[in-house]
Amino acid sequence: MSAAFRYEFLMQVRKRSMWVAYGVIVLLLGLLSFRTLGDVLHDPVAKETVASIAFLVNLILPVGYGCFLADRLVRDDRLGVAAVLDATPASTAGRLAGKYLGACAAAAIPLAIVHFGFAGLYAAVAGRPVALGWAVALFAVVIVPALLFVGAFALVVPLFVPAPLFRVLFVGYWFWGNAIYPGSMPTLSQSLVSPIGGYPLQVMFGYPGGDVEIAGPVPGALLNFLRPEATTATAWLSIGVLLALAALVLSAAPALRARTTR
Amino acid sequence: MRIEIARLTKTYKGKVPALDGLDLTVPTGMFGLLGANGAGKTTLMRILAGLLRPTGGEVRIGGHDVTTGSGRQAVQRVLGYLPQDLGVYPDLSAREFLDYIGLLKGIDDRATRRRRVGELLEVVALTADADRRLRGYSGGMRRRVGIAQALLADPRLLIVDEPTAGLDPEERIRFRTLLSQLAGERTVLLSTHIVDDIAQTCRELAVLAKGRLVFRGTVDDLTRRAEGRVWSVVTAGPAPVGGTVVSALPAEGGGLRYRVVAQSPPTPDAEPLAPTLEDGYLALAQGRPAPAVPAR
Repeated sequence: MSAAFRYEFLMQVRKRSMWVAYGVIVLLLGLLSFRTLGDVLHDPVAKETVASIAFLVNLILPVGYGCFLADRLVRDDRLGVAAVLDATPASTAGRLAGKYLGACAAAAIPLAIVHFGFAGLYAAVAGRPVALGWAVALFAVVIVPALLFVGAFALVVPLFVPAPLFRVLFVGYWFWGNAIYPGSMPTLSQSLVSPIGGYPLQVMFGYPGGDVEIAGPVPGALLNFLRPEATTATAWLSIGVLLALAALVLSAAPALRARTTR
Repeated sequence: MRIEIARLTKTYKGKVPALDGLDLTVPTGMFGLLGANGAGKTTLMRILAGLLRPTGGEVRIGGHDVTTGSGRQAVQRVLGYLPQDLGVYPDLSAREFLDYIGLLKGIDDRATRRRRVGELLEVVALTADADRRLRGYSGGMRRRVGIAQALLADPRLLIVDEPTAGLDPEERIRFRTLLSQLAGERTVLLSTHIVDDIAQTCRELAVLAKGRLVFRGTVDDLTRRAEGRVWSVVTAGPAPVGGTVVSALPAEGGGLRYRVVAQSPPTPDAEPLAPTLEDGYLALAQGRPAPAVPAR
């Protein structure tokens, strides 16, 4: 597993297009929020401020993240490397886990740079070093589960759907399943399976605060059985469900690959 | 390491059998596998390497049943495999790629792995380019990387599928020599279209056609199949009919000198020639019944 992790990480992190695309997205985000940046950097409430950045990072950047990971598993067959890898005694499950974690870790670096970069800037400007602690906590319980969830689907779904089509479907899913208000149309937004992390953000970090809610039941909305009341237990449940779904999807990968290669 | 194959069948979904009740025993040493495209060579190689599950039959390598998970893993621990359509990761250098494969093959000690990778890069003459990304490598250079990865863990069983495709003549000869040197206590199974590669390296060989074994014996046995059936014909007219033309070279005094494998002299003035392995292979193909044509 460590070999696959090491080299998948290396290959993904060397992908120039990933850095260029993330750079463009971050530049656009920076330009759009330039006017409010001064106010945000002087906001005295460190936890909510850093949570707002985690929310923004988790809303926008996983779109690129999922698209960049979409070819990682299928490309072994496309490049003709799979036969050599499969003929080694290394276990298929170990290689898959290493590939998944290595590629996900490398593709997460730009997100981490944006998230921790902003937290560091805020900590320095506002004089609130505690922001760095909140940034670590938010990264661990909000961003990482989302990335593991998206990474699993991005690796496995292209085994039976062409990668370019997956990317189109994924972008559509992402905004439909995370950004749409459930009262306006059936969606997975604000539910336990929404990888944007509404439950932990709201319950553990008090985001967005006031009367606004980003998790829990919405009067009149469909699929409310997936939106229990937002509590500490349901926040952890949401994280657990995302990680369990990721594991489930990954476990299907060897069988799906065998279907196409045997 | 002895390979024992009994009643081996592989049928891909909705297709004719790629292997059809194959029985074959491969002893230790260098062994050649010949056959036309679609004969089932690559399918056999992939089954032996543990990449494909057979539809039926038995395959034992060194006593391990490769149709079981544990048997497959036991074989893969001692296997070096060079597939026909080998690819590489364009984002890695040759050194990194070999290091990666070395780790997957269980060469965990870093110093040992580095030394072994360095030695093999030297063997395949890639030391000078070892730290360049594979993206910029030519087909022949990638092939050499493939050869190096197959030899990484000092395999006791080496399965090489079309190993010299894409290599220049000098590289081909060097790799053939290397394979012969590696044989000895190892089993080296060499599958190729290039009859000369087998003639120069193997004592024994098998010929497959349409998933079945049509010949198993020595290179000399197969060569003898063409005895009295190889002819030299010089003509300025059309190519001789009634046989297989092996070569056509400009003849002194005009016309072409044809080398023909045929049951009887293709022309009255045809001169008999000593057969080669290639002639024997063609004579064997001529001796087999023509494929059945489906009724319309």
